[in-house]
This record gives sequence, structure tokens and C-alpha cells, in this order.
Amino acid sequence: MYKYVFKRIYQLIIVFFLFLVTSYVLFDSIPGNAFQNLLLNPELPPEAYEQVIKLYGLDKPLTERVFLYIGNFFQGDFGYSYKHYPRTPIDLIAERLPRTLMLFAMVNIVAFYTGFLIGKILAWRRGSKSETWITVTSVFSYTIFYPWFALMMLWFFGYKLDWLPIGKFLYPEKWYDAPYDSDVIFVSMIKFTAVVSILQILVYIFTRNIESLNLRRNARFAGFMVLTIASLFYWNSGDLLIQKPYAMDIAYHMILPIFTVTVVAFAGTALLTRTTMMEVMKDDFILTARAKGLSQRRIRDRHAARNALLPVVTSFIFTIVTIIDGSVLTETIFSWPGMGQLILQAVLEEDIPVAMASFSFIGIFALIAHFIADISYAYLDPRIRIQSQG
Amino acid sequence: MNILEVKDLDMSYKTIDGDVEAVKKVSFTVKEGESFGIVGESGCGKTSVAMSLLQLQADNGKITNGEIIFDGKNIVGLSESQLREVRWSGISIVFQGAMNSWNPVVKIGEQIREAMREHYPDKTKEENTKKIIELFDIVGLDSSIIDRFPHELSGGMKQRAVIALALSCDPKLIIADEPTTALDVVIQDQILKEIRKVQEVLGLSLIYISHDIAVIAEMTDNMAVMYAGSIVEMGKTDKVFSNPKHAYTKMLLESTPSIVGPKKKLRSLDGEPPSLINTDSYCSFSYRCPSPDDNCRNRNIEMELTKIDSEHYADKCCINCG
Amino acid sequence: MSNQKDIAKKIRREALKKNWRLFKRSKLGMIGLYIVIFFLFLSILQPILFITGVWNKGVYDPVVGYSEQFQEFLVVECPKEYPTEKYKKRSDCPGRTEVNIRTLFYSDAQVGETIIQNLQPAPPSSKHILGTDSLGRDVFSQIMEGSQVAFVLGLLSATLGVGISTILGTIAAFFGGKIDAYLMRQSDLILMLPTLPLLFIISAFAELQVWHLAVVLGTIGGLGGSVITIKSQALQVKVKPFVDSARITGGSRMNILFSHVLPNVAPLALLFMVFSVTGAIASESVLSFLGLLNIDMSWGLMIYLAQVEGFIFSGMKFWWLILPAGLSVTFLTGGFYLVGRGLDEVFNPRLRDR
Repeated sequence: MYKYVFKRIYQLIIVFFLFLVTSYVLFDSIPGNAFQNLLLNPELPPEAYEQVIKLYGLDKPLTERVFLYIGNFFQGDFGYSYKHYPRTPIDLIAERLPRTLMLFAMVNIVAFYTGFLIGKILAWRRGSKSETWITVTSVFSYTIFYPWFALMMLWFFGYKLDWLPIGKFLYPEKWYDAPYDSDVIFVSMIKFTAVVSILQILVYIFTRNIESLNLRRNARFAGFMVLTIASLFYWNSGDLLIQKPYAMDIAYHMILPIFTVTVVAFAGTALLTRTTMMEVMKDDFILTARAKGLSQRRIRDRHAARNALLPVVTSFIFTIVTIIDGSVLTETIFSWPGMGQLILQAVLEEDIPVAMASFSFIGIFALIAHFIADISYAYLDPRIRIQSQG
Repeated sequence: MNILEVKDLDMSYKTIDGDVEAVKKVSFTVKEGESFGIVGESGCGKTSVAMSLLQLQADNGKITNGEIIFDGKNIVGLSESQLREVRWSGISIVFQGAMNSWNPVVKIGEQIREAMREHYPDKTKEENTKKIIELFDIVGLDSSIIDRFPHELSGGMKQRAVIALALSCDPKLIIADEPTTALDVVIQDQILKEIRKVQEVLGLSLIYISHDIAVIAEMTDNMAVMYAGSIVEMGKTDKVFSNPKHAYTKMLLESTPSIVGPKKKLRSLDGEPPSLINTDSYCSFSYRCPSPDDNCRNRNIEMELTKIDSEHYADKCCINCG
Repeated sequence: MSNQKDIAKKIRREALKKNWRLFKRSKLGMIGLYIVIFFLFLSILQPILFITGVWNKGVYDPVVGYSEQFQEFLVVECPKEYPTEKYKKRSDCPGRTEVNIRTLFYSDAQVGETIIQNLQPAPPSSKHILGTDSLGRDVFSQIMEGSQVAFVLGLLSATLGVGISTILGTIAAFFGGKIDAYLMRQSDLILMLPTLPLLFIISAFAELQVWHLAVVLGTIGGLGGSVITIKSQALQVKVKPFVDSARITGGSRMNILFSHVLPNVAPLALLFMVFSVTGAIASESVLSFLGLLNIDMSWGLMIYLAQVEGFIFSGMKFWWLILPAGLSVTFLTGGFYLVGRGLDEVFNPRLRDR
């Protein structure tokens, strides 16, 4: 078991190293560089350009720069952004990453949950009329041309109905005399969301062993209500009371992107769940469960869905890997100042330090996700648990 | 007193090639405390009979005609929730291939308790666990198995656990559908003994389904021979064995070696069972009958069980041939 | 010998017939097939219309065509405050056959007069089924051109990608060892690279043509995750008894690989292919939408133009600029997806309902 884990870690580190080299070479091979527009200025002597190039070390040969970069990377030194000079890439990412993570973590959890629920129902109602209609809707939202759909949503909810803001992170005019920085408020929102979700999961875990099904449901509902009331009190107390209107403003701007991406993202999970559920439903233990006289719902949730969960969770984990990647489009359309916009800008402007740092983050993300995938495999399928021990 | 009475049961599956009539006009009765055997080759409809008793046939299967009277009540056409009450607490079943009868991701004890929770909602977890340990004791399993996952058990242990599962809600009738197929011979024998013991100790009725005629001889009081969806011979097990009437039964017996008595040459049956799509009600065995008489060859007699003596019936169209 | 070949041919034909029958039973799969056929028809129809001369190239060409659309307009002066009797909101003025005097810089017409003006984008008419865009080009012709682009790109990149991943995946499963380790690490690497930024980088190298993009998308798709899936399928095939028996009877490794393992991986590969067409079309549209491709005309580009020219927020007033392109992408990718699902049910018996 340990041998396997070490081998895997070793492999992934090599892949990561290759990943860094590949990305750097890719960025470097883009024609031109970040400072070329200096040449367009006739007032600037050509020597100034040379000097800038030298200052950033761009005159060194490629191989030397790659090794320098990787050496610095492992010392935690990402250099300075070419475009936002005094700021470091880490600084920029620290500002942008939470915004992207908050938005897309929420989207993914909601989409995964509803997708799984709908997929379950689809597989179970196979052949009925409602199945066909839900499938058609899911396929439609799965294959809908996303940028177009997002624009339509913006137009409809933001412009036509005027219910929701058209993109952006906040209304600047509301924040002129704000006592806090938007990032401070955003961090406290993230903290709150994280704590509430962990508590909700704890409620779920602790009620798992209640034997009576009715009692279990009631206990879970009570836990949910207590949490809701507690969070209401929390936001109306002391310091947070001042933060509340500003937090509300950010939350208000989050509604439309969350809703739009969820509509598109849930369908993939739903269709995948349907397929795996249908395969599981052909298994003999489903027949046993039916023979035992269990209710349809219990067979569906406890036996069929539980076994169909594995591939769905895998896909969920790999969706998380692509959060930053997928955020590019959404953030461009909704002008949400997150990682996606940062990376897009860095790539287009050839701001190599920022682009490389963002790419590295994506790589590290992927590494972690691979491990989470392995662990959740073991948790969800006891058969793998045994195998990996042997 | 009859615990189960099946009258003129017809069941068919819809497929893209047409309707498959898997069970045709099957009638038999099972008395309380009796064990009843159904024997036949693969695809003859044995399992379909078992499934229709619990109405667990696949979604495309449908009981088109007949009655199943269990404990004085017709259970054909009951609603799903009424059926759920009959299942497991009235009739329980031991499926073929115990390997796949367990949900791989739920502990054995939980899977048994789940059935008990459904049928005895008032019992506490401790009471249920106590009963499971008792049942494990009867089938010869250690109580620690409650907290094991299915893949941690051997094939024989899983099959024993399946028997314990089948007993968990005090059923009146157990259907054993080839419970020993996937096991090796030694374990097979142990399992058979276990089933026999359980049946005698608890006074249950048993329907034993197998393709192995030797096992049927050992396990059952009464038996039926099935061919192409219909019963072709039925009666007291020793009578059927000592005096087989139908050509198919004779062939079945002659294709099985016996360790006692004079050495005989084994006969094999050529050909395959007929397709069950859109069949008629005439003699289905005529194509494979080794020495058909005129009735059999011309297929002009409808299939019907005829009385040989008080406890022995056979299909009249193939009685005199083979 | 020839007799044997005939029999093999017959068996194959029967199998094909049976698969077709199974596919036909999947209603959604058939709907998908009809959608795909419809778009295929559209993309073939355009060159036919040009060659037969039904459409004049100067007017109907999707890129350089120009159609004059003159219409009478009533000159009005839009009020400064709303609502008024005639106009409820700001967006109601000027109406469809009216022109605001404040936007008439080059004419000395007075309020109340009618003038003749070139109307672009023009709404659908009998001449232009889906109207024209702001440059006077026929939208329907553009949709047809976009459909050609989508098919060429989707099929090319899917074939290339699936070809690569099938060969690599089978080789990885069959030979194992170092080759396998290398190919798997390569897939890990490709999976780690974020797709969209990577495509941006590539589009910065050179101006991408349709077939460049097809090769790039095919290669990225072919080297990435699908190698792993194909490999696991090939591993399952490799341990099947018929492969062992082929080996025992003395089949060479290449023979076993090509005549026993590959054909059994092929259905999965076909499935992958159908699904990756969906991905390729979507990727092209996204890149064109962001204005990063050097393509004359495509559905993504149409939406891009509608967006940069500000027609998206004019709502449904200029619906023919917004809806046809977006719906075409959605429907064609959806059609391919549904076909893939139908095939899935053919190849995977566990998904069938009976």
C-alpha cells in the first residue's frame, strides 16, 4: 500500500516537473514578448527597451531561464508580474483565487447534488413520459452553447427584467465610504459558508445511525433549521452587522453566474448518474432488495444510487480540477474578477510570471484532486479498501 | 393444508423478437411443511416461475393469466405495497449465485436488518441483531460476520448468510433457486444439508429449483419436471423416479449417472429446447423426442396433464414414446 | 475459403442489421440522427444552390455577399422622457419603420417626412429566410457555412483524436511496461494543462484555420484522458479467453492486437468519437466567440459579431442575429450527443431495458 502511494507520488512529481517545463516553453514560444509595445513609443530610445528586457532576464537563453524559473519556483519565488509591476503573482492570485473558488465551489456542489438527484429519478422512471422530457431538457442544457446561453441570461435577468446586476463583482458606487475592503468582507463570507457547510455535513454524519427512517429525517430537518437560525443571529451581531449590507451586495452579484453555470453543469452529472444507475440496476442485489420487500425509494437511494456514486464522484473531483480552466469563459462574460480573467489576461499579454504561477496552481490543484479521488474511491467502495491494504 | 396453490399460470416477456412465453399453464400446489422440487434444463422457465411467485419478474415480464393463492389469498394483481408485505415475511427466496445477491458496499448485518426493519418496524436494533446472531447460529456462521462486507466472505459463507437473510422475517415459504450452482461439491453438500435442517427445524415449506435431478431426489417430497415453459410430469418424488412416464423425464433420468445398481450407458439428449416465441399449445417435445409415436410426431394432441395414479401426473402427448 | 468469407460477411451484415434495429428503438437516438442529417443537408445544400445559380454569389455569399434592402422610414424625434403616449419605454423609439432625427447626421430631412434608407440588419423576408446581418450578408447562408465548418472540424478532430487514443491505449494495454508508463504520464500531463488557456496560447502562435484547429483539438483530445479509458477497456479484452486461445493457436502479437483486441475496443472508440464531435464543435464556437480564430464564418463568429455590435442587449428585436447561430450550435452538438447515447445503448447491453 505505502509502496504504491510513494510510487504514485513520485510519478506525479515527475509529471508536475514536466508540466512546469512544458508550460514555460509554451509561453516563451509565443511570438513577441510582454514589453514589445514599448517599441511602439517613438519617444523612447531603443536602449530603454533593451534595458527592460535585461532587467527581467529575458535576454538569457531559454534553457537557462527554464531552470532558473523552476529553481525559484521550489523556493517559493514567483518573481514579479510584468504588467502589474510591484505586485507579485502570489499576491494577485491570493486576491483572485478566493473569488473564483467561492463561486465555482458553490456552483459545483449545487450542480452535483441536483444532478445526482435528477439522474437517480431518471434511471428509476425509465420509459415513462417524464423521463423523456427530463432527459431532453438535460441534454439541451448539457449541450447548449454556453457563452450564448450566458449572454441570453444576462440579457433576460439583467436587462429585460432588471432583477439582477449585469456582471461585475459589486456596485462601486455603494462602496465609496465602505469601512472595509471588499476582500475582507469576501473572506468573512467564505469563512461563514465553509463553517455552515461543515456543520451541515456533521449533522448528516451524526444522524446516520438513527435506526428509524422518520426520526432520521426529522433530526436532519431540525439540524438544518437550527443552523439557519444560528446563522441569522450570527450576521446580525456586532461587527458583522456593519458588514452585512456589503456582503449582501457581493452575494447579489453572485446569484446570476451561480444560477447560469448550475443550469449548464447539473446536466452532465444527471446524465452520467442515469447511465451508471441503469447499469447497477441490472445487478442481482437489486433483485434481492426488491424481494426483501423494501420500498422503491429505499432500493433506489440505498442500493442503486449508492453503488452508482463512484463514477459520479470521480467526475465531480475532476470537475473541481477544471474549475479555474472553466472559469475563464464565465468570468469573461460576467466580468467577474477572478482567476479565469487573470489567467486569460496573463496569457494574452504574455505576463509570464503570472501565467506560470496560475498554471502551477492548476497543476497543484490537479495533484491534490488525484489524491482525493484515490481516497474517496477507498471510502465509497470497500472492495478497493481491502485491495489497497494487501 | 395448502400453503401455495398455483393455477394455470401464464407469464410472458416482451422482447424485440416477439413475446416469449416463459411459463405456460403451470399449476401445482405446495402443502405446509412440504418441500417441492422443480427440475428442468436451462431456459425451461423454472426461474420465471419462482420470480412470478414473488412477482419480481423483469419489467418486460407480465403474468397474463392464472392465480397464485398464497395462504388463502390470491396475490396476482396486488398493488406494489401489498406485495411488499408478502415478500420476505410470506415468501422469501434464495437466489442462484449468492455472490451477487449482496450489495457490495453495505455490511451483511445491515442488509439483513434492513429487511427486518421493513417488516417489523417496532423492533429495536438490539433485538434485530440478537435475532440475526441466532439465525447465523442455525446456518453455522460466526456472529462477527454481521460487521463484515460481502467481499470479505467466501462463497459458502455468503450462501449461508443468504439463507439466514431468507429466514430473517419468518417466512412461511422459502424458494431456493439453484442455491448451490456456483459452489464446489463439498460446500454444496453442506448447504443442502443446512437447508434441509432449517426446513425441518422451523417447519417451513420449501420450493427447490434445480437442473440437477439428483439433488431434487435428495431434497424434495414432491416434484415437477418442466420443459419449454410447461410442467410435463409431476408427482411424489419417489414415484416419478421409480416410474417415469414422460419421454423427457426418462431422458433426464437416463442422462444422470447412478452410483448404485447395474452399470448403464448414459444417454444424452440431442438438440436444444425450442424457442418460446409465439408457441402453440401442442406437444413441445416432439422435435426432440428420440422415438416419437404418431401422436407426438403429428402434434395433434394439446398438452395436458393426465393422471397416472393418485399422486402422479404426466403430460399425455408424450407418455408412450421415448 | 471464399465460402467462409461469405459466411463471415453475412454474419457481419446480420450483426449490423441487429444493431441498427436496436438503435432504431432508442427514440432520442433517432431524433439525434435526424438533427445531424438535417444539418448535413444544410451544409450540402449551400454549394448546390450556388452551383445551380439559384443563389447569386454576390448577394448570398456568407462572407463577402451584400444584399441591398431599401425601406421607407418615417422621421420622428424621440422624446427625452418616457413614457409618452406613443412610446412606453426608451427602447420603443424609434419603432421598426421609424428613424430618430438625432441619428440622421447626413440628411436634411424633417420630422414627419419619409426617407428611403438602407435597412441593415434586415428582418427575415422571402428573399432572405433568416434576414441579413449588419453588413448585409444573408444569415441563412452563414448558418449553412457554419454547418460546413462544424462538420469538417468535428469529424476531422474526432477521427484524429479517437484514432490516436485507440492506438495508444491499445498499445499501452497490450505491451505494458515502460511504454505504458510513458503513455500514462503523458496523459496525466495533458490532463493537467488547462484547455482553454492552452488554446489561447496556440492561437497566438499563428492564425488558426479550421483544419489547424481540428488537428490541435484532435491531438489534445487523443493524448488526454481517453487514452486511459481505452486502455482500461483494452485491458479487459486482453484477459478474455479468446485472446488466450488466439495466442495458444500461434497467432502473432500483431495479429492478436489487430484482429482480436482492436475490434473489441472499436465500439467504445466509436462512442468516444461521437461524443468528441460535440466537444470539438463547442470548442471551435467558444474560440470564435472570443475572437481568437482566423475563420471567415462560423456559428461562434456570428454570435461574436452580434455581441460586439451590441445586438445581444437589444433583445429579441434583432432575434435573427442571435437565435439561429446559438440554437444551431446547441442542436448540432445535442444531436451528436443523442446519437452517442443511442449507440451506447446498442453497445452496452446493461443499459437496455430488455
